[in-house]
This record gives sequence, C-alpha cells and structure tokens, in this order.
Amino acid sequence: QYIVHSWFLSFSEVVLEPFQFSLPGSDPSRGPHFTGCRSREQETFRCWWSAGIFQNLTEPGALRVFYQTKNFLSEWQECPDYTRTVKNECYFNKTFTQIWTSYCIQLRSVRENITYDEACFTVENIVHPDPPIGLNWTLLNVSRSGLHFDVLVRWAPPPSADVQMGWMSLVYQVQYRVRNNSHWEMLDLESGTQQSIYGLHTDKEYEVRVRCKMSAFDNFGEFSDSIIVHVAQIPSKESTFPTTLVLIFGVIGVVILLVLLIFSQQQRLMVIFLPPIPAPKIKGIDPELLKNGKLDQLNSLLSSQDMYKPDFYHEDPWVEFIQLDLDDPAEKNESSDTQHLLGVSRSGSSHVLNFKSDDDSGRASCYDPEIPNPEDLASLLPGHSGRGDNHPLVSRSSSSIPDLGVQQTSEVEETPIQTQPAVPSWVNMDFYAQVSDFTPAGGVVLSPGQLNSCPEKKKEEENEKKIQFQLVSDGAYTSENTARQLSASVPPSPGPEQGYQTFPTQAVEGNLWNGEYLVSTSDSQTPYLLPEAPPAPILPPVSDYTVVQEVDAQHSLLLNPPSSQPAICPHSPNKHLPAMPTMPMGYLTPDLLGNLTP
Amino acid sequence: MNRLKVLQAWLWCVSLWPCWLSHAVPLDCKDETGSLTQCTSISQEKLLDRVIQHAELIYRVSEESCTLFEDMFIPYPLHALRNQGGNLCHTKPFPIPGSKSEIQQISDKWLLHSVLMLVQSWMEPLIYLQTTLSRYDDAPDALLNKTKWVSDKLLSLEQGVLVLIRKMLDEGILTSSSIFEHTLTPYNEQSPEVLESILRDYNLLICFKKDAHKMETFLKLLKCRQSNKLSCLSY
Repeated sequence: QYIVHSWFLSFSEVVLEPFQFSLPGSDPSRGPHFTGCRSREQETFRCWWSAGIFQNLTEPGALRVFYQTKNFLSEWQECPDYTRTVKNECYFNKTFTQIWTSYCIQLRSVRENITYDEACFTVENIVHPDPPIGLNWTLLNVSRSGLHFDVLVRWAPPPSADVQMGWMSLVYQVQYRVRNNSHWEMLDLESGTQQSIYGLHTDKEYEVRVRCKMSAFDNFGEFSDSIIVHVAQIPSKESTFPTTLVLIFGVIGVVILLVLLIFSQQQRLMVIFLPPIPAPKIKGIDPELLKNGKLDQLNSLLSSQDMYKPDFYHEDPWVEFIQLDLDDPAEKNESSDTQHLLGVSRSGSSHVLNFKSDDDSGRASCYDPEIPNPEDLASLLPGHSGRGDNHPLVSRSSSSIPDLGVQQTSEVEETPIQTQPAVPSWVNMDFYAQVSDFTPAGGVVLSPGQLNSCPEKKKEEENEKKIQFQLVSDGAYTSENTARQLSASVPPSPGPEQGYQTFPTQAVEGNLWNGEYLVSTSDSQTPYLLPEAPPAPILPPVSDYTVVQEVDAQHSLLLNPPSSQPAICPHSPNKHLPAMPTMPMGYLTPDLLGNLTP
Repeated sequence: MNRLKVLQAWLWCVSLWPCWLSHAVPLDCKDETGSLTQCTSISQEKLLDRVIQHAELIYRVSEESCTLFEDMFIPYPLHALRNQGGNLCHTKPFPIPGSKSEIQQISDKWLLHSVLMLVQSWMEPLIYLQTTLSRYDDAPDALLNKTKWVSDKLLSLEQGVLVLIRKMLDEGILTSSSIFEHTLTPYNEQSPEVLESILRDYNLLICFKKDAHKMETFLKLLKCRQSNKLSCLSY
C-alpha cells in the first residue's frame, strides 16, 4: 500500500503544475516560471524562465535554477551554466545532459527561499531538431499537355543532429503551397532525405519547405527556408494539342457524314457507279407498255415506228417467208419441204397446227380462226415469187438464192406442235409455223407472223400492215427484235435499233423464247405476245431464228452451215445448229452488224 | 549477517542453476520436423541490421501503445506525465550511462550487455501488462495486439543479441532473466482503485518506451562502430 501511495503522490505533483516545454513565450500574468526547455540534438539542452509580474526579481541572480536528476535521487544542484548572452537561460552542456533520465528543475529565489516553479522531463522528450539544410529541387518530368510537372525535392539532415552515428533517427515532413496562398499542403513523413511532389501546375510558383523530428516523438523542429519551384509553360506544346484533336475529330466527322451520305443515297449511287445495262429499246416504245398494254396502243405504237415501215423490207431479197398456198394444192406438190412438212403433219404427227381462239389478254394470235385474208394469202402464192428477190420463197430458196446458206428448216418436224384434231382448212398450206405458245388445253399457238407470211414479205406486200411486236421477255428484259433475223443483206443502216437481232437458240428447248420476231398482223388486232413462261417443255425445241455465222460478199448472212436443208424462213431449230456459232448467241450487236457491212 | 547473505546468494544461485542451464544451451535451429539442424549462417553485419530493425520496430510499437493507452484512459491534464519519461521505472542492476559522451566511451561489450539486460528486464513486465490490460473493459484490441506483439518480438530480439554477443565478443553467456524477478513485485499487486492501476500501467508503458529507445540507440551506435570506427568514437 505504501508503494501504491507513493506512485500516486508522485503523479499528483505534476497534476498541480502542468508544464509546457515547447513555448518559450512567457506568461506575464503569472509569477516567475519556466517558459520552456529545448534540446536541439539530444546532447545538450537549455531552459528559459521568466520573472513574470514580479519585477523586482528581474535582476540577474535573483532567480536561480536548480536541477535534480532522478536517477539516484541526487541532491539539487544549481544550473551549470547561466548563458551570458541570453537573459534567463540555463544551458546544460554535454556533461550535464543525460538521456533517458528524468530531470526536475526548480526556479527559486534564493534570498527568499521560495520555489516559484518546478518541472520534470526527460531530455529525449524535449528534443526539437534543427531544420534540414540544403533544400533544392529537380524537375522529374512534364506532362504531355504541358500543364503539370513533377519535381524531386532533396535536402540534408541538420548538421547538429548526429544521424550518421544513429544517435538520432529523424523523419522529415515536406510542405508546399502556391505562392502567397495561405494553405500549406503537407506530405507524409519521410525517413529519407528526398521527396517527390507530383501534380504541380506549370506557370505557378510554389513554395516548398521541410522540417524534421525524431521518429516516434512528437516535437517538430523549425521549418527550413522555403524554396521557390517554378516551371514555365511551353506554349507550343499546348497549342498543338487541341489542333490535333480538332483535326482528328474533323476527319471522323467527315467520314461519318460520307458514310451516312452513301447509305442514304445508295440507290442513286448505284445507278451512277453501276449503271444498269440498257435493255435493247425501240425508240419511242416503252417496254412496259409492250408488256402490259392493250393491243390498240401497241398497234399504234408499232405503226409509228420508222423501222417498221414497209420500205424497210423492200431490200430483203433473201428474206424467206412462208408461202401460203391456199388455193393451189398443186403448188404444194411442187414445194419441197413444206409439202413434206405438211405431209408429215397430215400424217397425224404432232405438227398439226392449232389456233387458239384468242381469249387471253395480250396474246396476239395471227392465227385467227377465220381464214386469213385471201389477199394476204395470195401474196404468198408462189406466183408472187416472181417478184423477185424481194421475197424469195422458201421453196425456191435453194435455187434462187443459192448463196444463201440458210439452213433449210425442217424444223417443222421438230416443231413442238401438238396434234390437234381441229385442223383449219389451210393447214395444208405450205408454210412454216413457229409455235409461240401453248394453250392450257394443250393447243399450240403459232406466231402469226409465220403463218401469214414471213414477216418481211408481209411488210413488203402491205405497207399498211401494222407491225406487231411480238415480244418475248425472259425475265430480265425484253429484247426487241427489230428485224429480222432477216437477211444479212439488210443494210445495217436502217433504224438505230437494227443492231439488235435476236437469235434464240438453245432457249428454244422448251424454255423461254429468248428471241422476238416481228409479227405482222393482218387484221387481227390482238397483239400477240409470247408468254414469259415457256410452255410445256415436252415439246421439242423450235428455233425461230438462225444464228448468223458469217456474211458473204453479197452481204448475205450466212446462217447455219449449208449442209442443212434450205430454210424456208430463216428459222432453224436448235438441232440444226450443231456448231456453236462464233457470234454471240442471241444477239447481233451493232458493232457486229457493222462488221457485216462492207 | 554475512553468513546469511552468503547463504542467500548461494541458495539463489543453486535455485537458479537449472534456469542457467536452459539459457546456456547454444542456439540451434530447428526445422519443421523438430530435429536440430545446422543453422544457415548469416553475416554478422546482416545480423546486426536485423537486430536494429527489431529494436526500431519495438520502439515504434511501444510508442503507439503508449499513445493508445493515453487516449483511452488518461485524462488530458495528465498527459504531461509522458514528458517525464516515467518517474518510477524499475531500476537496473547496474547503471547505464545516459549521456552521449559517456555512451561513446563505453566498449562494445558493455553496449551489448546493456542491451541484453534491458531486453531481459522487460520480459516479465510485458507479460504482466498483457494480463492487466485484458482486464480493462474497453481496452482497444489494437492495444492488446500491440502489447502481445511486442513481447514476442522482445524474445527474438534477445536471441539475436545473444548471438551477437557470441559472435562479436566470442563469449558464451550464461544469463538469466530471473535476476529481475524481484523488481516486478510492485507490479504484481493489484490495486483496487482504478485510477491508480491506470496510472501504474501508463507509467509502465512510458518506461518501456524509454528503454526501447535506449536499446535502439545503443544498437545503432554499435553498428556505426562496426562500419566506421573513427567517426563514431570521435568527440
């Protein structure tokens, strides 16, 4: 219990008189008292006191300091050294300084034997190190934008502190601020002698200072002198940066605009860059109209075309056409192929022609049920063949036009003609017919041009004949055949559209008729349009055209090799086209026609 | 009277003889299996560095413990006690010089022995401190952890110093920390009054902090002497 009480008593002393060591300032309202004790390097220390309000004690010597080390409870000793230069200071040098030892000091007035003040401490607890020296800075780097920079601040420990020996372990604290600002930025404690400061602004002046303290103690020393840190801004760098940004964004914006433009104007651009291949056209005739229009309109249209003027056909000596010989069966006997053909047909083969009554819209049928105009037919009589080269008959083709290598078409045998019970009276005629369509009932629809005559001949005969276009369209576009697979003797000059001649070949094989051919209707006003879809493919192919192989000196088109029979009309089935023509199948392009001309 | 004293001393030595033996066993390394193997040796300089690191850490943690305790239990007017450095720290068997000049004059042997003695003198009080702190109702866990940590580290510090003594001074030491047992008797008493026990513990912490600082300084001085004798022994 005794020991416990002694503990308590020793502490109570301190309770009564709190002692502040860090403030060397004096409190004038009090009596004589100690104002503070400090050690700079943990080797010596000083104490200061003040007389306070007792002015009569200000003379030197009136107040004296006594100290006692608590190690071995030694007696009180007087201050070893009263500093001469500084008033009221007691200096304890190395000899009298003991670390880790409690000191108690007393301020006494010896004359009056009064102890005015007392304080106890240990030296390591009153150490305030000197400020570091040699503070300087170096530039670490500047940011890309030129707006920020980093510095490395260096210093040296205070010379009074024996850091090298390890007598004192110091930690440092760096503070910085923008110049003339009131707020200091504090960095963490640093045990080394350098510190990096990041994120400073260029073009701003900074003040940097440093102070130190013993590690694990609380008493900081004084601050060192401040240094100024300043990095000038580099103007060029900053100016280029936004320019580059603007450029990049501008380019991106333009690219986006272009893409949008392209996507919005896709169709038009497609037309500009990838123009559709122009379909063969007849000047002034709308393909759509031909497809879907009424017969009257078509008739008017076609008649207005120059190229279909009957004159055009005057110079077609080589044109062969079917010659209808209604009234003269003897004539038929003279004819060669047609007779054979008809004979074959009479035999009940599938060559019987049938004419469909034209109920379908747009289906032109030259083969009206009624007997064709006798006048027209008469023109087909062989008697007219004497007209000369204008319309040589098929039957005479071999003789009158020997140079023509027109392939004789015996295609009638191959014509996909169905046997029809109802055979018109003129079925015995000598003629070729091209099957252009098949009725749903299985009937065969012949193209009227052939039936009446070869279209060219008809033109010759009747100028007023309206030429009707028989269009075959195969899905992509309609090709209009202005002519005629007509002869090579036809000068290519007539009509701008003369360049196109279609020669349907392989397509005949039950497929689409790629070709078109002129159809001249006599009185039938119904336009005859070939269907787009091919008829039943069961029928053997019939080719309405012959592929022009070459042109001879007389401007004759050499069609298929002359080995074949003379053609009645320049139509030949595909079968008679053994050799692939060198010409492009189906078309005689203008340039090719140009080659044909002399 | 003399006889009594001699008998007392002799009895004391005899009773402590087993303890001496236990401490006399030279340090050997034990691997995971428990068998004694040859320790991998490190250089003396490196060992001294590690010992210094230990001492630094112990000192820093002791200061933190002191601050924690002070913030939690000590009323503000009594904070000045800290500066006093502990009035009634337990005395050492032999005096340790306090001034720098004196310390510079003592030999390496004395330095090491002083450190060893300091370390050993604090082993028991720290254990006591752990138990007494755990009795407080609202002692922060950090404080308890730190105290425990410090007492563990003190053990390894002692081992390091012993090795250093063996290496540097070429002497085997038969030491015992039981010499200091009698000094602990004041601490063993439990005071019924809360304030007193608090103040006592506070004083204990302050004293320990001071001695930890001492240990660190001595060891650093020793290191300086090892590396550069001339500049350390000067003035």
